[in-house]
Amino acid sequence: MKTLSFITGRALQGLVVMFGVSAIVFFALFLTGDPAALMMPPEATREEIEAFRQAMGFNDPIWVQYGRFLASAVTGELGMSLRFQRPALDLLIERLPATALLAMTALVWSSLLGFLLGTIAAVRKNSAIDFAIRVISLLGQAIPVFWLALLLIIFFSLKMRWLPSSGIGSVWHLIMPSIALGAYYLSAITRLVRASLIEVLGENYIRTARAKGISSWRIIVHHALRNALIPVITVQGMYFASLLGGALVTEIIFAWPGIGRLAVEAIQNRDFPVVQAVVLFAAAVFVIVNFLVDLAYVWLNPRIRL
Amino acid sequence: MKRLAAIALAASMLLPISTAIASAADIVVGRGASTTAMDPGFLKESATIVDNIFDTLVMRDKEMKLVPGLATSWKAIDDTTWEFKLRDGVKFHNGEAMDAEAVKFTIDRVIDPAAKSPTVSYIRTVESVEVVDPLTVRIKTKGADPLLPTRMSRYPAYIVPPKYVKEVGNDVFARKPVGTGPYKFVEFVPDQHVILEANKDYWRGAPSIDKVTWRAIPDGTARITALLTGEVDLIENVPVDIAPMVKDSPDTDLVQVKNGGLTIYLGLVMSEKPLDNVKVRQALNMAIDRQSIVTNILQGMASPRGTQVGAADFGYKDLPVTAYDPAKAKALLAEAGLPNGFSIKMQSTHRYMKDSEVAQAIAQQFGDIGVKIDQEVLDWSVYTQQVPRKGPIFMLGWGSTQTLDADAAVYAIFKTGEPYSTASIPELDKLLDESRSIVDPAKREAVLAQIQDLAAEQVPVIPLYQEDALYGKAKSVTFEGRPDARIPIFDIKKQ
Repeated sequence: MKTLSFITGRALQGLVVMFGVSAIVFFALFLTGDPAALMMPPEATREEIEAFRQAMGFNDPIWVQYGRFLASAVTGELGMSLRFQRPALDLLIERLPATALLAMTALVWSSLLGFLLGTIAAVRKNSAIDFAIRVISLLGQAIPVFWLALLLIIFFSLKMRWLPSSGIGSVWHLIMPSIALGAYYLSAITRLVRASLIEVLGENYIRTARAKGISSWRIIVHHALRNALIPVITVQGMYFASLLGGALVTEIIFAWPGIGRLAVEAIQNRDFPVVQAVVLFAAAVFVIVNFLVDLAYVWLNPRIRL
Repeated sequence: MKRLAAIALAASMLLPISTAIASAADIVVGRGASTTAMDPGFLKESATIVDNIFDTLVMRDKEMKLVPGLATSWKAIDDTTWEFKLRDGVKFHNGEAMDAEAVKFTIDRVIDPAAKSPTVSYIRTVESVEVVDPLTVRIKTKGADPLLPTRMSRYPAYIVPPKYVKEVGNDVFARKPVGTGPYKFVEFVPDQHVILEANKDYWRGAPSIDKVTWRAIPDGTARITALLTGEVDLIENVPVDIAPMVKDSPDTDLVQVKNGGLTIYLGLVMSEKPLDNVKVRQALNMAIDRQSIVTNILQGMASPRGTQVGAADFGYKDLPVTAYDPAKAKALLAEAGLPNGFSIKMQSTHRYMKDSEVAQAIAQQFGDIGVKIDQEVLDWSVYTQQVPRKGPIFMLGWGSTQTLDADAAVYAIFKTGEPYSTASIPELDKLLDESRSIVDPAKREAVLAQIQDLAAEQVPVIPLYQEDALYGKAKSVTFEGRPDARIPIFDIKKQ
């Protein structure tokens, strides 16, 4: 019963968030002007632009347009892309696999390596290796993605000729974008695991376990890491959610046909329906992933009750 | 043993990948923009790919002269009627015959107001199309239209197959186009590529390149890398900063098409003081050192200009570039009653070659004559919403590469009340309207020259320079670039 009320409560919260997001994205786009001027060729006359605006419904009061948008959004209809003349939702779904593949790959390698480095750094606190890991993770978070991406292209494609410079197709195409995208998360996860593990290793129950003579390996894996996971899982949930919304910079640089690139090109061309669809989708993923993260807490730490 | 296997695996991962290098008969082109659709009647992007699948009635040769295409000849029957004789025996890729009905269908579907074609303005003068016989078609215009044959040489006037379009509908047609052109459509994967194959039965002969892959690579550095590594053979829009990489590589060439790009100018909102004063406009015009900007910032990839009309356009008058004369500019400001200068806002965007750096240099040069610039740089998508209403000084690129006629270069930005115009000079308006009503080329040329002379004196806008178009190509490929920005694969050879 408690679980059920928790779930419905969260679902309602999620709906409110989605409603808020839809309003913000709709009105924010309108504040910067209407797309008719950008959609028409430069030689178009004033009358032609006006006729186009009328035909597309851009002349109705903004709340009428918002009502129309909301009514169709509820039925899963997110409007036609102005640029592609196809449903915005279809365009988004088409690009989801590419984005999901990149997001998963980036998150998996950065998590695995991040856990390993974070654990080593925590166990060997204040040693030379800890210092090295901390420097690396600081760099990873400080280096901008676009710069790292270009360095990778220049080194692996241009100098060494090992990897294709952009596009999608083989496993080789996936390497550079997932490194560029994962570098930031690697650093974040390493630092988080390290900090969280150091804190847990100072807890009384760890001292008790040590006193009982349990091997230190077992203590770290079974007792410490599991408890250190909670903040890490929260952060990873957030990362994954934001990655599924599309990696804007990475996808543009590597010509990766995902949602991020769709979003950037839609913004550049003021393709309202597509921008709205991408933002709403990203918000929905966020809401859902947060919900799953909450459930994961319970599994990891039975002390947290629903 | 296990360790050995691990090392072998690691080594194999480090081995160079044979990045798919196109074979001699194939070519890969890297473009900055993604293709969204390929229906020539409803394009919202450049016609680069479409141009290889479809043909127009009138074509342009390498010297940009109008030559027969699907029409073998054309003539004006009276002031408002043009007659086109069509080429016999031309078939669409699906076997449909190209005839007068197809021409009528092509134009009717674009000028139909219900169709909401975004490019209807390019053929807005067309009143109706009349089929005389299967190989003769007459196009009636609303008034005299000297540019009609030019209009028939570009989108949206690529001839489409009526039966196929009616059968599959516009949406499918845009994804699976069928034309009469040198290349047949094979595959379209959004945001990835468009693949075309040679049309062996093409009426101009079989193309020498068998297969073309158009890849979308939005980032400039990635595009150049793909060229340098041989993943692609030809790229569009080489960024100026890294163009030397293409020039210096032993395997690639930089193709610099003089007069192939837009003419960059400063728009002046003349309803705002003190820009309503011609002396102030003249002073600003003289305060800019165009040669220094082109040499130092644009590394010579542009040509300073004294007129908005492109050098390859019909009606171009080779006016001298306004001389850089800050002393005279200051004197003019004093004459205008502003001896201490004034403060004004100048907007620019990120779209043209090194535009922010250029805007900064101009702001500095204006500062030298006492005009204090409040500089604002906006993203393009926001900029287009504000330009040309805000300003009061704004930087914009304008071009006539699609028509190669002075009309396209000046009318829309000089004429009072046009969407992109912020000028209002009655004398100029009169000449502009006159130029649109003359069919006789010699008379038109004279009026177009008058327009440019008057603009040089009245300064409705401040012309800065015309950008070059920059392409990068593999040495194995022949490509010279064209002022109309097309990439006709039919004319390209590969060793």
